[in-house]
Amino acid sequence: MHRVTLLLVAVVVAPLALAAQQPIVPHDSVKGAIRAVDVRTRSVEVTTGVGFALRVVRLQVPPSVPITDRARGQGAPIKLGELKPGDVIRAVFGGRPSGFVAYTIERVGRMDAGVESSP
Amino acid sequence: MTRGVIALVAVCAVVACRQPKPGDPLRGLSAAERARFDSGRAVFDSTFTPPVGLGPLFNASGCGECHENPVTGANGDEVEHHATVFHPERVGAMCDELADKGGPVFQDSVTPALHTALGIDREPRPPIVTVVGGRSTPDIFGFGLLDAVPDSVILSYADPDDRNHDGISGRPNRFFDGRLGRFGRKALVPTLREFNDGAFQVEIGITNPSVPVEGTVAGDSLPAGTDPTPEPEIGARGLELADAFVRLLAPPAPLKQSGEARRGRDVFARVGCTGCHIPTLRTGDNPIAALRHKEVAAYTDLLLHDMGPDLADICFGLAKPSEFRTEPLMGMRLVTHFLHDGRASTPEQAIQLHAGEAARSRDLFEALPAADRAALVAFLKTL
Repeated sequence: MHRVTLLLVAVVVAPLALAAQQPIVPHDSVKGAIRAVDVRTRSVEVTTGVGFALRVVRLQVPPSVPITDRARGQGAPIKLGELKPGDVIRAVFGGRPSGFVAYTIERVGRMDAGVESSP
Repeated sequence: MTRGVIALVAVCAVVACRQPKPGDPLRGLSAAERARFDSGRAVFDSTFTPPVGLGPLFNASGCGECHENPVTGANGDEVEHHATVFHPERVGAMCDELADKGGPVFQDSVTPALHTALGIDREPRPPIVTVVGGRSTPDIFGFGLLDAVPDSVILSYADPDDRNHDGISGRPNRFFDGRLGRFGRKALVPTLREFNDGAFQVEIGITNPSVPVEGTVAGDSLPAGTDPTPEPEIGARGLELADAFVRLLAPPAPLKQSGEARRGRDVFARVGCTGCHIPTLRTGDNPIAALRHKEVAAYTDLLLHDMGPDLADICFGLAKPSEFRTEPLMGMRLVTHFLHDGRASTPEQAIQLHAGEAARSRDLFEALPAADRAALVAFLKTL
């Protein structure tokens, strides 16, 4: 009985304890135009919004973050410095106490050239 | 019996031939769509107050406060203010839409709570702003049909390099994710739904499921206690109904044309107005039958055109300061102030203020005999 109780406690508590060790990083994504790139601080600013309600999402981009270019074929890596203002990117990111951190970035086109609608 | 049938046929004919009046719904709606239109009108006509979410920054207390003359959904005499920063030297980022400050709409009113906290009567404009543009309230009749026009139709009129050498080089604007824009005086916003959802927040300060966060005060957070209403301040249902009302508003049927107006229609084409004010667009496939494969006498190409330096104001997306979307002319007979900021009080003045790509048509108009100019204006007043 005592073992069963311990086992139950372990089953209930272990996932909670594991979750507590993880940083709180809810996933979100954004598709928008690059407003600024700072290679030195490894950050990008993305303009997005709904109608005239606009906002800027600032993302930290650690060196390990995969940055790819749709035009060069699926998964073709590019460097942060190759991203330019006016590029349309899709970024998946999470929140950290220090701000938003990118997990993946894909350049999908240029704002002035147009990008086909996709979810 | 025969008389009864005749009477029935007559009644049906009258109903079938009845043309939409300003503010009427599109013809051919299902009962459910009509019910959504009617319920949506109530949302559109709602007046919001601070306890139910108005503000803290706002231009109006409801959609119907501005879109009101002569009926709900029509134009209004309010002029609001948009501001951006133009950097022509910056490739790919020539326009700073002040998105980090909530975008280009700087609200002209604040709630008492925000006034008490900050001592302001309107949203201050940051010093970096280079231009402020006035924006009049357009009518929104038939905008559901404009929403239903396929991108390919709009792009078929684009001629950014003026390859046909007609002096007209319409080009598309794009939203920040690269989609084709069509709504707003600079054609930035791709869909009617996004325009409406965004407008709740930027115009009324009503957060919603699409825009769940309040704006800032020129980039600064709202002071504590100035926005006590929990977000979102309108739910998905209310948002959807308001959109349904706007989407299903019919374009006013053009008036029966006199001989003069018919002649004016020909003059309108002859002097080249139809180069941008394309008389009809055709909608594509659509889940709503009343919007599906319809001709809409919109008199626009939904593209950007250079209108010359005197009309120039803000940049927006790819639109340079002097570029504006061709204004749809459907419902024009109801308009009392013309051009994007309402600076013209007559159609003639509006035409005379056209420049840039429209300079040739303007000059041809001004060179017309007075009777032809009057005929053209008579035609516009039937739309």
